Formats: sequence, structure tokens, C-alpha cells
Amino acid sequence: MNGATINLLYFARVAELVGKRSETWPLADATTGAQLLADLQQRYPQLGPAARLRLAVNHEHAKATASVRPGDEVAIFEPVTGG
Amino acid sequence: MILVQEADFDGAALAAGLRARAGAQAGALVTFTGYVRDFAPGQPTETLFLEHYPGMCERELEAIAATARQRWNLAGTVIAHRVGALPREAQIVFVAAASAHRGDAFRGCEYIIDALKTRAPFWKRETLAGGERFWVRQREADHDKTQAWNAGADRPKEQQ
Repeated sequence: MNGATINLLYFARVAELVGKRSETWPLADATTGAQLLADLQQRYPQLGPAARLRLAVNHEHAKATASVRPGDEVAIFEPVTGG
Repeated sequence: MILVQEADFDGAALAAGLRARAGAQAGALVTFTGYVRDFAPGQPTETLFLEHYPGMCERELEAIAATARQRWNLAGTVIAHRVGALPREAQIVFVAAASAHRGDAFRGCEYIIDALKTRAPFWKRETLAGGERFWVRQREADHDKTQAWNAGADRPKEQQ
């Protein structure tokens, strides 16, 4: 198990804006969804306001206050539009 | 039953399968089918592309169906959703709910499609006949209706 990174997945418009569908980020200690989104925006300013971004941790919708831990799979996307 | 696939589905066959599984418990069966429509009057859609998050998608749909079964007296449910490039007027989604009585079947079916629209990780990208391409934004009305279901509303109204 790789304990020092997280696996980031990007979907739909977010994937287009960052120009990739996934990447591995170093993460030594647990953080929050909000902090992760802030770090992402610093890296990819083209993402725009964080208010439109949603995240899922290990296949479950997560709030900005949720913990993100080393080894997690974290998906970043805009509000879903299926159906 | 949960299906997420590129291939088209046969709603009548899915409903018949649910009917057969539910048997004499099911006095009522309600279905919903969603189709690719024009984005807006005067803005015809050429193609609707459906992206999804494999794994999480099936898990969310299972959770939505489980919530519906807890909340209403349902003899069974079906959710089928297509992904990939879909032409104008193609089928996108099919939901069926079987129950002893119509009230639970109607409510269960409506809850499932409403929850799917705000929880299941699918995203639509429009390509209009004129060539314009963009990702669809979630409707406030869909978000509000799911909030109302979650707050315990018996059958929330859809705001236009």
C-alpha cells in the first residue's frame, strides 16, 4: 500500500480544465477536502471558484470538512448531471 | 437490478423482468424513461455525451435503490443508465418500481430518478447542431427537489 500519496481522478469539465484524467499527489498527513480543493486551485487556477467543485473519497460523496488520508482515491468534479 | 452500459436498453423487457420477479406481490408497476431532447427551443442537440465514474456509479445507484426500498413498500426496482455518445431522441435512462399499490410505486420511481439526478456520478456534454459544445450544469430545481425528499417531503413538486 502506498501510504504517502493520494490518487486524484478528474471528471467531465474538471478533466478538460486540468488537461488530465488522473494523477498521483504526495500527501504525508491527513488533510481536509477543503484544503485539498484549495491546493488544487493554486495548482490549476483555471478551475475557477471552489464553490462549484465537489469531491468523492473512496467512491463516496464527501463534504469539504471530510478527511482525506494517504492512500485515498479522491475524485474531483462539478455537480452531477445524469438522468 | 442496476445496469450502466453503452448499449441501448429495452424498457418493456426490463419492466417484464421486474414484473416476473415481483410476481403476485406487485399490483402496480411504474416506469420512467428519459430521452435525449433538444437543449432548448431553437437549439437542437446533435449528440449528448454521458461520462461516468465506474464503480462509484453502480454503488450510488444501489444506495439510491436501497433508500427507496426502505422508505416505501417496494417489491423490486430497476435502474438502467446509458453512457457514451447518444444521438438526439435516444433513450438515456430507465427506472421501474414495483409495489403492491400505486402510491408507493409512483413515489419510489420518482424518488429514484430525482436522487439519481443529484447523486449518481454521470455528466452530460452537449454538442448542438451548430457545433457548440459544453458541459451541462445541474439545475437548481433538481437540487432543491432532492433536498425536499431528504427533508421528508411525501412528494415534492418540481419547480420549473
